[in-house]
Amino acid sequence: MPEPTETPQAAPGSGATPTRRGFLTWMSRGLLGLWGLGATGAIAAYLRAPENEGQLSERTVRVGPLDDLRLGEARLVRHGATPFFVIRTDAEHVVALSAVCTHVRCILGFDRERRALVCPCHDGRFDLAGNVLAGPPPRPLRSFEVALRAGDVYVKL
Amino acid sequence: MSTERAPRHGWVEWLEGRMRLTELFSFFTHFGLVYTPIDTTRPMREVIRLLGSQRIPRYDRWPHVLGPLMAVLFGLEVFTGLLLSYYYQPSSGDAFASARTIVRDLPFGWFLHQMHTWGSYALVAVVALRLLRLFWDGLWRAPREVLWCSAVAATWLALQADFTGRLLVWDTHSYWSVVRGLEVVFALPVAGPLLSFLLGGRVITDHLLIRFYILHIVVLPLLFAATMYATFATLRRVGLSAPEGRTVPTTTHREYLFSLVRFNLVLFAGLVTLAVLAPLPFFGIADPYTTPANVRPPWYMLSPWLISEKLPVPVWLTGSVLLAIAIAVLLMPLWARGKGIAEERRIRLAGTLLLAVWVALTVAGALVGRK
Amino acid sequence: MSGACGLGRGVTIAAFALLLVSGPALAQTGRAVTQGPVSKSAGTCGTCHPSERVQHEKSAHADEGVTCVSCHGGNDATLDKAAAHGAGYRGRITKSEEPKLCASCHSDESRMRPYDLPVDQWALYETSGHGKALAKGDTRVAVCSSCHGAHEIRAASDPASPTFVTNIPRTCGTCHGDAKLMGATPHKGMVYPEYMTSIHAQELLTRGNRQAPTCVNCHGVHGATPPAVGDVGKVCAHCHTAERRYFASGPHGTKLAKAGLSECASCHSDHAIQAALPARLDTVCSVCHGADSNEAKLGRTMLTDYRGADKELERAAAIIAKADAVPVRTEDYQARLEEGRTLLREALPAAHSVNPALVKTFTSRAQSVGHEIQAEIQHKLDDLRWRKIGLLLFWFYVVLTLLVLRRFREQGAREI
Repeated sequence: MPEPTETPQAAPGSGATPTRRGFLTWMSRGLLGLWGLGATGAIAAYLRAPENEGQLSERTVRVGPLDDLRLGEARLVRHGATPFFVIRTDAEHVVALSAVCTHVRCILGFDRERRALVCPCHDGRFDLAGNVLAGPPPRPLRSFEVALRAGDVYVKL
Repeated sequence: MSTERAPRHGWVEWLEGRMRLTELFSFFTHFGLVYTPIDTTRPMREVIRLLGSQRIPRYDRWPHVLGPLMAVLFGLEVFTGLLLSYYYQPSSGDAFASARTIVRDLPFGWFLHQMHTWGSYALVAVVALRLLRLFWDGLWRAPREVLWCSAVAATWLALQADFTGRLLVWDTHSYWSVVRGLEVVFALPVAGPLLSFLLGGRVITDHLLIRFYILHIVVLPLLFAATMYATFATLRRVGLSAPEGRTVPTTTHREYLFSLVRFNLVLFAGLVTLAVLAPLPFFGIADPYTTPANVRPPWYMLSPWLISEKLPVPVWLTGSVLLAIAIAVLLMPLWARGKGIAEERRIRLAGTLLLAVWVALTVAGALVGRK
Repeated sequence: MSGACGLGRGVTIAAFALLLVSGPALAQTGRAVTQGPVSKSAGTCGTCHPSERVQHEKSAHADEGVTCVSCHGGNDATLDKAAAHGAGYRGRITKSEEPKLCASCHSDESRMRPYDLPVDQWALYETSGHGKALAKGDTRVAVCSSCHGAHEIRAASDPASPTFVTNIPRTCGTCHGDAKLMGATPHKGMVYPEYMTSIHAQELLTRGNRQAPTCVNCHGVHGATPPAVGDVGKVCAHCHTAERRYFASGPHGTKLAKAGLSECASCHSDHAIQAALPARLDTVCSVCHGADSNEAKLGRTMLTDYRGADKELERAAAIIAKADAVPVRTEDYQARLEEGRTLLREALPAAHSVNPALVKTFTSRAQSVGHEIQAEIQHKLDDLRWRKIGLLLFWFYVVLTLLVLRRFREQGAREI
């Protein structure tokens, strides 16, 4: 029984059967469609706004939950070119001080007993307000604003 | 094969019953999508069918290809610029950080930034090349004065977009080159004070930055689009030019469209290659209080700057001379009259010499201090 | 207006004339002086002694009621020389008298309390080299006025004062840099020029670092005495605490003390102290131990370790700069680089222990920090290579697309 299908026009030089031609056309269209898909994907990835609040401007750093810091404990946050100490002075208060000594830029250490920041290079000492207690440092330490939001400690550089 | 088809009742017809679709279509053709004039009183499908059967002059070949190339690059800049503007913040405190976030942290941000920058260099090259070719072929004469003026205006606007866009990144290199460039601009006799008033002062402040931003993303693109409109409006009237003795070859719209897609693809691939293999570097944040060594204005301002540096010629004078030359070039159809081969040759020679001098000064300006 | 007014006028004129003449006439006692304004602090003394008056008026004493007569006695309310130099006049104060005279106020706690000034200067001075020599009758030494000035005495916080921190070397150097005056001393006046070549002088005077030591920081102010040989280390350790700590833990401490050599000055010199560059580790050991000795080799080992770590950190800094230009996020690495540099900075004080293993604990840690930074950043930069691979795939895709387009074009052309 002759089937009312599309009579394959044997176009000169095509050399493909109807099903293969249809498949190739579909493939070709798919290939072209990939351009659109790829572009959409790339643009979508770009436009997806970053989740972290502090990521766009690295000025506000999320240090972590307040409960992770013990009373009287200091933590060194190695943030970029401005590492800083976060010290929990009492239940409610946290101070953030630069960890870079103002003398020759050595990284300070924390003396828990004396509640002071001590420099290993020339024994410069700073109190928890950043003031110089002893030694060669010429200037007090920079302190940073600390905000407590939803139980997390944020430091504004 | 019959061209008569059964009347359709699709969504196009539904829309056609409510608004003139062809008018909407013609809006895009005014900016060069379709070169030939179309009858906006006819329904959409009919117009498209008519276009399909028409033959049009080829302008996917040299030298006419420069026009569509310019339009495509402009479209690329608008698109990439739009995406970039989603994250860019135009204040002196945030500009660099936001630019760095785009380039460093966001997925494909580096790609958009490189495409935008390389695309802008390509746009400036194309626009300048188009201007040179129009000059060489004498296409500034009547009746193509409007074509010439819009080509000159397009070149100016492209350079100004480069200048304003440069500052937005707020890195050392670009900040200080804009400072130098503004020295030349603000030193101009009449235009200087006027521009400094419009730009918000003589010093780079937040006001100046945001005005540069507005210029770069709104004003200059609109003006550029206006020059494209003018170009096509005049082409529809005076027709595409052909070298003497020959006619412009013609082709079908369909062929032309394929050709267009093909060279766009190649252009895009070229820009992507540049973006990946030769990414333009990212310098450190600008410090308004520290001038780096060897600061010079952008390349298009190197010629007046070089003369002022090396000779005791005041900057306002060299700047004014450059501005006067630019205005003279714009108004060339008005003063450069005269016909005949000799006249043409003389004009070509004069133009080439002037260009050679300008190029030499620019190259010298780029090399000064590099040793 | 008759004869009575005319007489009145004549009398007035005559009176004026008399007054005009009498002024100079009254002053004509002894020698002719012009009467200047009477100074608040110098009184009439200033009329004959104008330069001292000017100096005194600039001093801190001028507004505190310390007048010429407070120190010199006499009478400052008269222009008559005999009266002015009359009862109680002490005249020029001799050097031996000076300390006691100044101390008559400056050692009085109740008087100095409101100014919050110390009162131990004289007591300290008597223990000093100057004070002891003066007690023996040698007046070539410094007394109060030698450093503070006699009349223009300013506070030490006043930059114009000879006792202001940056002026101290020059003040001490006035005597201690004079070869003739110092002929009897072992250093023969070389201490001042030597100090001026030192890194301490450079820090103080060129870079304005007020923390840098001057003569008084090591020798004392009023109790100025050169530290004993065994005490030199203690003096240097005011600031260089780490160096002394490490030195004490090494073999040099007791050996130098036994040999009667000073701890720090033996290698670094006492006044002409130069910046302690790591390269000295190569040369300084040979001075005592000989160039081919084991000790010198030890020094060279420490130097090699130090240089190795320094180079790694330099390379890390360079790759950070390279990554910044791409840009790639590098801030975390910058903090670690500072930590590495801190470690390396402790290696040089640790070298004073002449224990290479100890020095190595610092240098090897610094080196590994530098190495880590380089490796991690290089990894990030290598990730960028993926972009190039993507580019190849992209080109391949572009070629495919061009072929497909051509196919569509031909197909379309055939169908038309």
